[in-house]
Amino acid sequence: MTLEPALGGMAQTDQDRCDPLLRAGNTNCGGCGMSVGLNLLSHALETRKIQMVIPACCGIVTAGPYPWSAYGAPVVASTFASAAAVATGLACAARINGDPTRVICWAGDGGTYDIGMATLSAAAERNEDILYICYDNEIYGNTGGQRSSATPLGARTSTTPRGKTQQKKDILAIMAAHRIPYAASLSLGHPEDAMRKMNKALDMTGFRFLHILAPCPTGWKSEPAEGIELVRNAVQSGLYPILEIEDGIRYTLNIEPSMSDEDLQNYFEKQGRFRKENYDLAVIRKHIDEHWQLIRSRIR
Amino acid sequence: MSSSQEIRLHGRGGQGGVTCAKILAAMYARLGLSVQTFGDYAGERSGAPIRAYTRISDQPITNRNKVYEPDSILVLDPTLIGPELLSGLKPGGALLINSPEPPEAFAERYPDHRIGVVDATGIARKHGIGTRSLVIVNTTIAGAFARMQDLSLELLEETYTSLGFHSNYDAGKEAFDSVWIREALEGGAAQEEAPGQEQPAPAKVIDSIQEHRESLPPLLKTGSWKTQHPIYVENLAPCNAWCPAGNDVVGFIQSVAAGEVDQAAQILATTTPFPGVCGRVCPAPCMEGCNRTEYDGSVQIRGLERWISDREGNPKPDIETPATKRSIGIIGSGPAGLSAAYTLALKGHEAHVYEGEDELGGVLRTGIPSYRLPREVIDREIGNILELGVEAHMGSFFCSTDLEELAKKHDALILSTGLQQLRELDLPGKSLSGVEQGIHFLHRVNLEKPDAMSGHVVVLGGGNTALDCARSALRSGASKVTIAYRRTRAEMPAIREEIEEAIEEGIEIQLQRQPIAFVGTDRVEALRLAEVDMGDPDESGRRRPVVSDRELTIECDHVLLALGQSTDKSPLPETWTLDGEHVQTGDEALRVYASGDIATGEGTVTHAIGNGRRVAHLALQALGEDVVVFERPDRARSVPMTDIRLDHFERRAQNSEQHLDAEARSRHFDEVNQGLVDCGEAHRCFSCGHCTRCDTCLVYCPEGIVRRDADSYRVDYSYCKGCGICVEECPRKAMEMTT
Amino acid sequence: MSMELLSANHAAATATILAGEANRDARGFGCGVYPITPQTECIEKLCRHEFTKGEVVRVESEHSAMAVCMGFVLSGARSFTASASNGLAYMVENVYNVALYRVPMVMMAANRTLGPPWNIWVDHGDALLLRDSGWIQFFCEDNQEVLDTTLLAYRLAEDHRILLPVLVNQDAFVLSHTMMQTDVPDQALVDAFLPDLDLPHRITDVPVTIGGLDFPHETEVHRRQHAEAMDRVPDVLAECEDAFEDIFGRRLPGPIVPYRMEDAEMCLISMGTTASTVREVVDREREKGRRVGSLRLRMFRPFPIAPMQQALAQCTRIGVLDRNISLGLGGITWPEIMATVPRDALVQNYMIGLGGGDIRPQDIQGIVDDLWKREQSESPKIVEVG
Repeated sequence: MTLEPALGGMAQTDQDRCDPLLRAGNTNCGGCGMSVGLNLLSHALETRKIQMVIPACCGIVTAGPYPWSAYGAPVVASTFASAAAVATGLACAARINGDPTRVICWAGDGGTYDIGMATLSAAAERNEDILYICYDNEIYGNTGGQRSSATPLGARTSTTPRGKTQQKKDILAIMAAHRIPYAASLSLGHPEDAMRKMNKALDMTGFRFLHILAPCPTGWKSEPAEGIELVRNAVQSGLYPILEIEDGIRYTLNIEPSMSDEDLQNYFEKQGRFRKENYDLAVIRKHIDEHWQLIRSRIR
Repeated sequence: MSSSQEIRLHGRGGQGGVTCAKILAAMYARLGLSVQTFGDYAGERSGAPIRAYTRISDQPITNRNKVYEPDSILVLDPTLIGPELLSGLKPGGALLINSPEPPEAFAERYPDHRIGVVDATGIARKHGIGTRSLVIVNTTIAGAFARMQDLSLELLEETYTSLGFHSNYDAGKEAFDSVWIREALEGGAAQEEAPGQEQPAPAKVIDSIQEHRESLPPLLKTGSWKTQHPIYVENLAPCNAWCPAGNDVVGFIQSVAAGEVDQAAQILATTTPFPGVCGRVCPAPCMEGCNRTEYDGSVQIRGLERWISDREGNPKPDIETPATKRSIGIIGSGPAGLSAAYTLALKGHEAHVYEGEDELGGVLRTGIPSYRLPREVIDREIGNILELGVEAHMGSFFCSTDLEELAKKHDALILSTGLQQLRELDLPGKSLSGVEQGIHFLHRVNLEKPDAMSGHVVVLGGGNTALDCARSALRSGASKVTIAYRRTRAEMPAIREEIEEAIEEGIEIQLQRQPIAFVGTDRVEALRLAEVDMGDPDESGRRRPVVSDRELTIECDHVLLALGQSTDKSPLPETWTLDGEHVQTGDEALRVYASGDIATGEGTVTHAIGNGRRVAHLALQALGEDVVVFERPDRARSVPMTDIRLDHFERRAQNSEQHLDAEARSRHFDEVNQGLVDCGEAHRCFSCGHCTRCDTCLVYCPEGIVRRDADSYRVDYSYCKGCGICVEECPRKAMEMTT
Repeated sequence: MSMELLSANHAAATATILAGEANRDARGFGCGVYPITPQTECIEKLCRHEFTKGEVVRVESEHSAMAVCMGFVLSGARSFTASASNGLAYMVENVYNVALYRVPMVMMAANRTLGPPWNIWVDHGDALLLRDSGWIQFFCEDNQEVLDTTLLAYRLAEDHRILLPVLVNQDAFVLSHTMMQTDVPDQALVDAFLPDLDLPHRITDVPVTIGGLDFPHETEVHRRQHAEAMDRVPDVLAECEDAFEDIFGRRLPGPIVPYRMEDAEMCLISMGTTASTVREVVDREREKGRRVGSLRLRMFRPFPIAPMQQALAQCTRIGVLDRNISLGLGGITWPEIMATVPRDALVQNYMIGLGGGDIRPQDIQGIVDDLWKREQSESPKIVEVG
């Protein structure tokens, strides 16, 4: 639900960054959900100082060729698995020196769910003062679209040509299990809620994790224009729960989905990566319901 | 003697250039030749310029370099054409361009080359290959290339099948069949773009440590990637399309929403002198058209119009100064005539209004009771019209010769005499005392003084006049009032709220009743009615009433007929014929026009206002004045509900207007409807097709290149990748993609 | 200064603590550490120390340890980590990253055999795995040298003409767990020796991306710049050694450590503690009147080509002792050394002490005897010491 003007009209005002976090001339595909997320983050940052760590992924390729940078903030490109570790160094150095900077990891699902999982888990367990944001496009986009452990059941990728046969990891539950101060999922289709969470996460200390479902028109084989609507479909169908978890125990549901089958159907039918022969909506609905039973059992 | 050729492809990431090069290679491989195919790989993404290469030879291929001097170039995206693109192309070499443009232009530009032009994007789009913003053209243009190279369709099909692209073969074949080819010209003029053989000197690479300290935004202009781009447009809002007066409904509502009530009043004043009247009595077709209706109830537009008028009255718009001041006579001072007069006055012309009664207003005054439309509202709005310099001539009754005289006296004459002819009911007992035309009753009530009524009053009819009669009768002392209507409630033409309010006030509505006789000796004592069954729909779509033989009688003291009105042409000169808004003598068009119900029979104040303005425009246009004649917009062109992005709007029920308590109001003529408490309704407006500067496009643009600009936004097209999210996310269809 | 009984692990840790504290008025010290035998004692000592301004992050892997260090240094802090064997192998990706980002830091490797089967004893193969990673590498021979080289490494690494990471190697157990008297300098002297770390490309608020994309030409230039920094090492190292001597009153040996090489006809070349044993045999040979010398390769990267050529100029018989093996070739230093020997010299490669076998004088003596009687060289030989 968007109030007008969106974001209270703060975009492009004195409150906003004069140099956007993601600059024009970046090399992300048109309609990239990650780009939309970076723009939201840019607004949420307001005038805060940040340093970013981005592992080897689309997020760093978009910075463009040396020495130019599509990022309006200092960025360290880390090796694929190391974002949370490099950020640990930066964040500790900032802390021992009393720097006001906030350190943000911006990593895809490959760098989060897969190769970076151990690093991420360790940094979360140490409760490093890092805001870790996973833009989850459910695919290895940078390498041309291979499955990750975030790829949903049924999705065809270049390494699952007959559709993935496993469900994706419940990353939010994994992060909550680390009892970090804050873990939340946010929807690009609900910018006010997303901004609120980004702001909240930016102001907290300790390890904070934000999960963003980021449409990838190239990998999802969907219309670039329709990415945000796909996110809404995912939210409303129950496929992508929007909630926040504090200290791993206090669950708050932010968007009560309509659990609409129409949204679910739209979500699958509007993406070329899903083909009818590779998925069964009844099974997916069952998984959604089971997931929600779990979530609701945790909400006091 | 070995034979070989080299092909270079230029396309954009995602168009399938590398695969296209592979298709070409695969075709030649099937012919037994050695092939080599490869692409350039870099960090750029979907939409970025890329190159791909194919080598073909009858000898083993050992060259591992890129292709610098191609025999053929394929251009998958015409926006890439430039000197660098053509670099190294051998004279006489082939250039195949994907473009919807006429091929001759390219042919002229490249006389030295063999040219092929094919609208591969159009063909691929038609065959549904790719997405809207990124059409995949590789399998299509490969067909055109096969034709240029004199390869066979059979080879093309076999190759597609072998590569698993058989579903794209039709597109390839269409390109094969439709590609336009011209051979290289002998001794053609030198090329416009001299092939740039020299590589540009590599830029100095800065020291990775000592110099890498500066903020350097990227140099890449990603705008070159796009195949379509967004623009801001104003689309027709349904309310505007539905408003018979042509009011800019969405405009005044959004002004209210922005807190600019004075501006809202100004907007209204440009099209209507009667916001106070319409804000009370308009049946509000705009609210039927409102896209919010199906979501959570239409915006209370009529209430907002009144709210504006109650606060701001009628601001005086600027009066134009015409080169020639025209004099125009207007017969009748109902809403059509006064709207015409108002329009003319604003254009700076003389308007003379001739009225038979002592006061201006016509049906506003005679037909609409004051509990719906207080006299002071009429007085105020008409007073404003007169202040613009409109001249009123009261007590003017005309015969046909007078009209001919007036037509000569004025540059043009507008007839807006309304519907004077009342429908009669030719039934037994029709002349009994106590049976009369409702209009006459209303006329007395409205113009003279509250008429004493008593006993049971039955009103025949289902329109607004019937309701007005019934409720006026109640207020005039009737002990009981019944409305008898021959169809069902759904088919009653009266304003829905009026019906509801009447019922609240205790008026009984007997539906599906057809009067068959008035009973009584001198005075009417009862009414005989037949029950009516509803048959099949007639041409108007309403179900046809079928009178049964079941009868009933209701005792009554008065019967008021409210069965409708029609045009009374009796005062017109015999030679004049009415043709809609135009009046003719034989084949000769006169500078005489008909406006309002006499021309259209549409029967509402708002229709009359719109038509009055339109006819004033017609008259001026015929006089050679530069005017845009008001046309009612085509409702079909208005923004449909499906184009509204409902996720952006919270569901919120309509704010109702405040009404006097039914018991208290039904015995006097005080205004029943007290209007809206506030203007919160304005914030419910979707603003269909009209940008509200909601920032949605700005917030969702993945490139962050939508900037606020004066009253709208500006897209930096040098970076726009043409993804279309801004358009898709626009809550109100105030943007669209265009190529 | 105080003389302490320290293991080489603790010598490295002690030097690091001194160096870390020396940066306390600047951006401090920070590191990521992860245990692996035989360097664990080193990081344990770091974890016990409370830095005035610093942080030791106990991470979950060597890969992350190196990444954390990179984060600290890019933020201006001095950094250090230690590893060995498979830990180094696991770390390799980030080891390269640190070098290519020109991150000046110091790592200690307690050189241990790469498994499997698991073997915790000395072998230089782990550090040599990083041969081409762009790090400066020293191989030390005793605990004092470990401590001194660690201090020296910071000054060298952080010099603006260099800006490269330094790997200071010590032999597993033979040094790492062996305690000897070690002269530990006062903090004030270390403060004087090590200026505050001033990283030119430290990330601040300026929006630059450290490590975006390079196209081929950019990489050509960046590699050249990196190589030029390596080329400057010998001169800068010499300056550092002078400064070290000025402040601490003792001089560190240079890139190569010749022993009785003045008129040597035969030379045995080795790295690390093997050289100590070689010197003992050299003395015995000299007593027999044979002109034998020892040459210890102390700085492996950049490879000290010119000093080697000079030192070996008059040698006719050269034995290259590798405590490592490049399977399918021979010792790893051998082909590199081959490039520096006189054209007519007889050079034989011996791989000795693989897997940590105790190299005793008689083992070296066997090599000397073999080399004296040899008429020509043969393919690299594995010398089993049991």
